[in-house]
Amino acid sequence: MAYIHVDRAVKFFPREDGTEMLVLDGVSFDSKAYGITCLLGPSGCGKSTLLNVISGLERLDRGRVEIISNHRDTGARPPKLGYVFQDPRLLSWKRVEDNLIFALKGMKVPPSEWQERVHKYLDLVGLLEFRKQYPLYLSGGMRQRIGLARGLVVQPEVLLMDEPYSKLDQLTARKLREDTLSICALLKQTTLLVTHDVEEAAYMGDRIVVMSARPARVVDIFDNPFSALERNLDDVHFIEFKKKVLQTVLNLVKEEV
Amino acid sequence: MEKQDKALVVPGEAESFDREDAPVRPSRKAASRRKAAWDNSLRIGSIVAIFFIWWILSLIFPPTLIPKPWETLAEAGAIISTGNFFVEIGNTLRRVLVGFGLAMAVSIPLGILMGTLRRMESFFEPPVILGLTMPGLIWAVLMIMFFGLTETSAYAAVAITIFPMLTISIWQGTKSIDKDLIDMSNVFQATPVMKIVEVILPQLISHILAAIRYGLGLAWKVVVVVEMFGFSNGVGYQVVRGFNVFSMKTVLAWALTFLIVMILIEFGLIGWFERSVTRWRPRVEAWRR
Ligand SMILES: Nc1ncnc2c1ncn2[C@@H]1O[C@H](COP(=O)(O)OP(=O)(O)OP(=O)(O)O)[C@@H](O)[C@H]1O
Ligand SMILES: [Mg+2]
Repeated sequence: MAYIHVDRAVKFFPREDGTEMLVLDGVSFDSKAYGITCLLGPSGCGKSTLLNVISGLERLDRGRVEIISNHRDTGARPPKLGYVFQDPRLLSWKRVEDNLIFALKGMKVPPSEWQERVHKYLDLVGLLEFRKQYPLYLSGGMRQRIGLARGLVVQPEVLLMDEPYSKLDQLTARKLREDTLSICALLKQTTLLVTHDVEEAAYMGDRIVVMSARPARVVDIFDNPFSALERNLDDVHFIEFKKKVLQTVLNLVKEEV
Repeated sequence: MEKQDKALVVPGEAESFDREDAPVRPSRKAASRRKAAWDNSLRIGSIVAIFFIWWILSLIFPPTLIPKPWETLAEAGAIISTGNFFVEIGNTLRRVLVGFGLAMAVSIPLGILMGTLRRMESFFEPPVILGLTMPGLIWAVLMIMFFGLTETSAYAAVAITIFPMLTISIWQGTKSIDKDLIDMSNVFQATPVMKIVEVILPQLISHILAAIRYGLGLAWKVVVVVEMFGFSNGVGYQVVRGFNVFSMKTVLAWALTFLIVMILIEFGLIGWFERSVTRWRPRVEAWRR
């Protein structure tokens, strides 16, 4: 069991003129263990920054971010972490499959498993036929899907996803959301998913953390009354829930204006 | 003509149709062959132009100062047909390549370190910048005085002369690498070796290629100087011999033959290397409309 514990996280970034800009203003929440937690917030509020802090790429100025894990699962080692970046961050000089292998190699997955895993996750994102292609010859949405596959292929205990479906059409996005849900359930992953889309948050999230505009604070936290299998986009009760989340977001916007 | 045909098509679309549909059509091969033919005729054209200017000059100046191009070529042919040509070229080429290889072996790691670590940068910046201003001739003299007339002095003079330029090129290139990709490789726990070989070096490839080209050019200039100082073989020595009997033809012929060897290396070896390491990159067509 692993979950992410964020405790009064404070982060400043230096501005061009030398002053400090407050980005995270005491953000606190706990993620679900073995489930998907959605971060919902307006553009520029600090969601990617928070994921960078959790992944260890950025440091907090105050407060704490911890991945609390049960040692029965992972032993003494820190839990394995996967990250689907907002921009795909592929190695342009490596073929699609070698981009996934790069992550597998880094995460010390035994080479005997590489082929099978690469095959499985490229098939999942529908790019198996492009496995020998170089990324610069693919479309933006295809590159985003490779980034998604690379995050999934390492089968991490903690998966960070930064708007992984934002460049995809409705149908592809819907299919990949379903696939992600079933993979997360199957592998018992703890997932943090950043999104702008209220419907996506309601559909994917076991927990939804709504953040304010910069400086980011947690405005509200919703626990999804429906389990992953029960969520039906046309169901009246589900629509009720979605509206409730949407209302919170809309109130936030009103306050701003 | 073609422009009129395309007038009704949105230019962008016509282009992408051309490109993306191409791989499955056999005509793609013909098109790329046509392009290659164009490239080659331009290359040959520029060489022909050089000979043309040479010929004009040879009409103006007496043959002792500027010999006719074909007479020089004939002399070059005579040099090549004697057996010792390959020995001489081999000697010079070996000095160039060993010195160049030594410099590369130091420059690539040092340049990467300087580009990634603040302290290395502060420490090595002064000697590298100073080294850049030191004339190759002085290094040649110093090395010969130090090592005597040995192969070592040739290798050392070449290596030291081109090393600052190679290092600066790699160092500046390293500073412009993509931070996001380094972040990505840190998240996926890439080892330092993976980061250097699979993330940093590929981003430096343009800088390394430029460094190879400059470096080889500079190396050959230094080697000739070293050989002139008293080596008894190599292209530089043969050039001095030509100079001693004031035979412009011999001097030019030797220079020309070595030039041909370098061109073969450039278009054969380096060209092949460049093509094979940049296949992942679509060609930039900045001026196409
Ligand atoms: N490296 C940095 N240096 C300085 N400021 C930064 C840096 N990274 C982000 N910021 C600032 O921090 C703020 C939050 O950025 P962040 O990328 O976390 O936003 P976000 O919530 O992910 O937005 P979006 O939804 O548009 O991706 C922005 O206003 C940005 O200007
Ligand atoms: Mg972001």
